[in-house]
Amino acid sequence: MKVTQMKIGQSGIIKKITAPEPIKSRLFAMGIAKNNRLQLLDHTLKKQTWEIEVEGTRIALRKEEAEGIEVEQ
Amino acid sequence: MKQIRAVMVGQPNVGKSSIINAISGARLHVGNFAGVTVEKKEVTLQKGEYDIDIVDLPGIYSLKAYTPEEHVTKRYLIQEEYDVIINVVDANILQRNLILTLQLLDFRRPMILVVNMVDELEEKGGKIDANMLSTLLGIPVILTSAKEKRGVDEVVDKLIEVYEQKVCECKLYYNEKIEDEIEQLSQILLQSPHFSDPNLARFYVIRLLENDEEIYKIVHDLPIFLELHEALGESIKRLKLEFDADSVSDIFADERNAIARSIVMQVMIQPQKETLTDKIDKILIHPIFGLPIFLFFMWTLFQITFEVGSIPMDYIDETVSNFAAWLKTILPAGDLNSVITDGVVPAVGAVIMFLPNILILFLGINLLEQTGYMARAAFLLDGFMKKFGLQGKAFIPLVSGFGCTVPAYMAARTLKNPKDRLITMLILGFMNCSARLPVYVLFIAAFFPTTSAGNVLFTIYVGGAILGLIVAKILRTILFKGEPEPFVMEMPPYRFPSIKVLAMELWIKAKLFIKKAGTFIAGAAMIIWFLSSYPVNEQLQSQYEQKIVQAHSEAQKVLLQNELAARNLEYSYLGQIGKTIEPIFAPLGFDWRLSVATISGLAAKEVVVSTLATLYAVGEADERSDTLISKLRENIDFKTAIALIIIIMIYSPCVAAMSTFYAEVPQWAWRAFYTIYPNVLAWLVAFGAYHLLKILGY
Repeated sequence: MKVTQMKIGQSGIIKKITAPEPIKSRLFAMGIAKNNRLQLLDHTLKKQTWEIEVEGTRIALRKEEAEGIEVEQ
Repeated sequence: MKQIRAVMVGQPNVGKSSIINAISGARLHVGNFAGVTVEKKEVTLQKGEYDIDIVDLPGIYSLKAYTPEEHVTKRYLIQEEYDVIINVVDANILQRNLILTLQLLDFRRPMILVVNMVDELEEKGGKIDANMLSTLLGIPVILTSAKEKRGVDEVVDKLIEVYEQKVCECKLYYNEKIEDEIEQLSQILLQSPHFSDPNLARFYVIRLLENDEEIYKIVHDLPIFLELHEALGESIKRLKLEFDADSVSDIFADERNAIARSIVMQVMIQPQKETLTDKIDKILIHPIFGLPIFLFFMWTLFQITFEVGSIPMDYIDETVSNFAAWLKTILPAGDLNSVITDGVVPAVGAVIMFLPNILILFLGINLLEQTGYMARAAFLLDGFMKKFGLQGKAFIPLVSGFGCTVPAYMAARTLKNPKDRLITMLILGFMNCSARLPVYVLFIAAFFPTTSAGNVLFTIYVGGAILGLIVAKILRTILFKGEPEPFVMEMPPYRFPSIKVLAMELWIKAKLFIKKAGTFIAGAAMIIWFLSSYPVNEQLQSQYEQKIVQAHSEAQKVLLQNELAARNLEYSYLGQIGKTIEPIFAPLGFDWRLSVATISGLAAKEVVVSTLATLYAVGEADERSDTLISKLRENIDFKTAIALIIIIMIYSPCVAAMSTFYAEVPQWAWRAFYTIYPNVLAWLVAFGAYHLLKILGY
């Protein structure tokens, strides 16, 4: 399931990250890596910007990046 | 004495600055990194027989540098000479921070790990076993809390200890298959006569496997490059196959993440409580209430800037006038007396008066940054900013622009995409910097009732921002087609700001401002004074002196003296310059004095005020003069004042800001565009406003 398909408060384990470099490295540096736990915290009214938490770090992403992260419950 | 050079490295928001500030007996120096305009903080201290020097490097998420600041840090780590690495991590997000630590450990240099903000973790019921962590990593670990000043001085002791040991006892290794490849490639590298250090070879090989361009450039010139290149290709192929991965970067990423995970599992008891951040975020980035709350914060900031800032103003004003009057009596009469008491002192005083306003605004912006709210604002505004062709992160340089345009241009470096960066930088000038505040405060005080002053100021700032957004949209549609850069940003937890760091920032700011007032603005005032005092028209002078002698009453004498002064000023160089440029500004209702003041604002925006002070001060017969404010009311009408405010809002920023822009943007076409378009736009908008007000009968 993609992050953008999750409900607020739902969490899961990151399984796959699809993004071009250098965004992929940046996501990784923020802690978005395989087997880490991800929780969806919030999104803006129009679902343009998403806030997730991964291993204690809160990260803001756009829809485009959030769609590239796949999680499993 | 032994010299120790250490570098402090860590991810952003781990509290490096507060640690540096908390070390006892340390002296802070602020400068720039060579060749770039990134702020460099350095402390020096003495302990026993050691002279210690610690350089605080800009925050870096990963050795895969992304922003220009990160490149500065990376280059410093690779190229400069230093003895010890001090790696600072945030105890609350240990796992993510350890990934950078693992990359730093690849250097195999003497290193210590400082686990900061441990008080926060313990408050939430978490715990870290420092001994265990130290054993696993093979380097000393210190738990610190800069806030409680806990463990900070131990950093210095450990620093000396690892310096004396010289070697890094780190025992961390990657997966056996990876280590095999590293070993093989290192051997090739070590064949080169330039390479004798196996640790450095290992580091280079790891970076090369991760496709690090900078290291690639370094080894490119080695004689063994061809052999290395071929072997590297083979290794990468084997590793990709073995791990079924898209790139070796991904393999290292997963590897480091797995190591960090397992370390955290062994040394850390995770906190249980719902954090304060969760609770605050439920309100502050609420989908509906978030934006109004943000606007309220900004509005409050400008209210306070104006209301509280104006309290010490009268006091400073009075002190300066008294000082000038006193100087007038003790200095010998003549040109020197005149240049100091009529030129420099009032001009510098007119500018210093605004120090409280500027400090309050800076404090506010710093508070937003340090508490972590700035990132929330970027989150809230990203969708909105995207509509104008900007991205949420551009909000940070834009808000810094309210403080000073110079650092704001540099803050724009967080935007990686050159188009995004250029658009942001081109509209940054519309975010009113604090140097323009004096001009606004002066004109608002002169032309608006006190009750609405804060609101007018807020309108000016919001107006500038809206104009900036509109221009951004136009630029994006016409000149920069394409999508804005992706938006990935950490939302740091809310923190109570460190008073010491805030005080330090404010002190630096105040010092710089006073220095600027004392040197640059005093110099500009001297030039303006000279231009306004010379040449003297002898004929006119003697003609009037005769008239004055013949005058019947005192009142008539005063009148004649004022007239003489005014005629002299008109005759002066400044008057001539003003007359020459007057036609340009005449459609806006400006007289030559306002025209000169406007042009002088290009040197620094505060100079507009000091120039007005000089130009309208002349022609006073007695010391108990009316204030500049009432002088302005007599000489300028409301619509002209509005036109001036609009010009100040839009036209080119000061020379310092412009040269920063030129330094950041190498293309001549953009430099030329940047130099011309704000001035044309400013004139057009001011013209429109002036004539609209005229039609409305003001």
